[in-house]
Amino acid sequence: MTSHQAFPAVDCRNLSVRYGRIQALDQASFTVEPGQVYALLGRNGSGKTSLVRCLLGHQKPFAGGVDLLGQDVWSRRTELMRRVGVVAEEPDAPPAMTPRQLLRFCAGLHSRWDVAGTDARLTRFRVPLDVPFGKLSRGQKAQLALTLALGPGPELLVLDDPTLGLDPVARREVYDELLRELADRGTTIFITTHDLAGIEGIADRVGILHGGRLLLDGSLEELKARHRRVSWAPFRALRPEELAPYAPLRVREGGLGGEAVVSQGDPTRLLDGDRPDLQVQALSLEELFVALVGAESEVAS
Amino acid sequence: MTTLAVFRREWIGRRNVFLLGLAMGFIQLIAIRFDPDGGSVHDKAAFMAMGTGTLFAWVVAALFGATMVGRDLEERRFSFLLNQPLQTGEIFAGKVAAGISLAVLSAILLCLPPVLLGGLWRQLPLKEVSRIVGLWLAGGTVLLLLFHAVSIQVRSRSSWLVLDLATWAGFAWGARLLSRRLIGGGAFEEMLQLWLVLLVVVTLGLAVAGYLQVAEGRADLHRSHRWVSVTLATSLGLALLIGWVQATWVLGHRPAAPRTLTASPRIR
Repeated sequence: MTSHQAFPAVDCRNLSVRYGRIQALDQASFTVEPGQVYALLGRNGSGKTSLVRCLLGHQKPFAGGVDLLGQDVWSRRTELMRRVGVVAEEPDAPPAMTPRQLLRFCAGLHSRWDVAGTDARLTRFRVPLDVPFGKLSRGQKAQLALTLALGPGPELLVLDDPTLGLDPVARREVYDELLRELADRGTTIFITTHDLAGIEGIADRVGILHGGRLLLDGSLEELKARHRRVSWAPFRALRPEELAPYAPLRVREGGLGGEAVVSQGDPTRLLDGDRPDLQVQALSLEELFVALVGAESEVAS
Repeated sequence: MTTLAVFRREWIGRRNVFLLGLAMGFIQLIAIRFDPDGGSVHDKAAFMAMGTGTLFAWVVAALFGATMVGRDLEERRFSFLLNQPLQTGEIFAGKVAAGISLAVLSAILLCLPPVLLGGLWRQLPLKEVSRIVGLWLAGGTVLLLLFHAVSIQVRSRSSWLVLDLATWAGFAWGARLLSRRLIGGGAFEEMLQLWLVLLVVVTLGLAVAGYLQVAEGRADLHRSHRWVSVTLATSLGLALLIGWVQATWVLGHRPAAPRTLTASPRIR
């Protein structure tokens, strides 16, 4: 692992994907450093699936390229998959195979396989070993997929919406397992998800994809420090020229007052004036996401 | 070794085909035993076993070919194999080998009840059996590869289908033209050879197209389709070119007409 630490774990360069006249992904570029947890967020149809497919060497991009662990993923996919664990968005294992058969199949393809760790995980998850994959519950499928992905002790883990359709308990178990993996081995994690509350406590960096373009890419702390919510009392809305220096993303006015999500500068300066009704608050990741990609943000901008 | 893993995975997923083959074999046996028309059980067993065996092997091969990658791509399951450290060649070879062996072995299972219980085993001509199994293998391979290519072309639902149809139509027209040339020249046997050559080249083209679909198309159905179409168009064109060279060579080397032959009394 040390020999590859000079390279980013993921290096995505000007990635573009087209389907006929539809531009699914438009020159997306970002890097994920070793040991980081990178969360890629986006609404349905934002280009996440196309990006993940290119990231795993399943699809050749229209332009640009992706390096994983310092190697081009399209031409070196086989070698890279020895060092990369993947959990797909849709459970993709053959439905007729049982977890026991799947474990044997995957273990046989890797030169190293953490048998003890795999057994411990399956016990924690309570996944039955002799029930066909197709008959497992959605949660069990996701947990088994995560177990299979972690089996060879990957340097990079790519998770494509691993908590999609899971109940809160199963979702928590998946995140706990990821946190355990992070604590034990410092694995780099690239995750796409709609579960913003769940990922907020884990992610170091966040990318937001919208309409095929990477709107935003930065550390979660930095993003949260930069974006704030300013709210005011009814009939006392801030004037556009007052808000302009703080680059408002979204302005909303209602019966109970109004609010704006601002994206630059220090909005606490607004509190210095004669406005006791004004409040400046930090945003959750979900609020930040909605402010950036919500329909209203487009109108506001 | 990894090819074997893919092979086993396919077998596990479709092991019911063996049961189906065996069940059909017993149904055949019952049909032979209780046939109201009477006649030789031995002959009927031989005819039904080999006839339905061939049909079964070929249908299984065709269905396997139509679903082995195309269905996985449509249901987004192909990523499971691509996410493993498996070469694309190993994935394709493992799937093809699994499909052909599944077709042939299930056909053998289908023939077992009539052959063993119908008394056919006592006078089983080994040469004939190996010829029939060879036919299952060869026909099964061609059908599996053909249906794999067609399934990718159909499932992608892209405008490249127009090229596919034009390619096959052009190939059929060219092959017919070459056949007529050879028949017109009185070279009937050479026409059969021509068909064999065309079949071999087309089968090789289908194999290359199938491999390139997995290696270059991967999980992208449209890109897969483009690779299959371009490879097939090239190989069908090449097959016709080889056929044309063969036909031209055959027709250019006919024995000369016996015009100069004269009879004269032997001089003593």
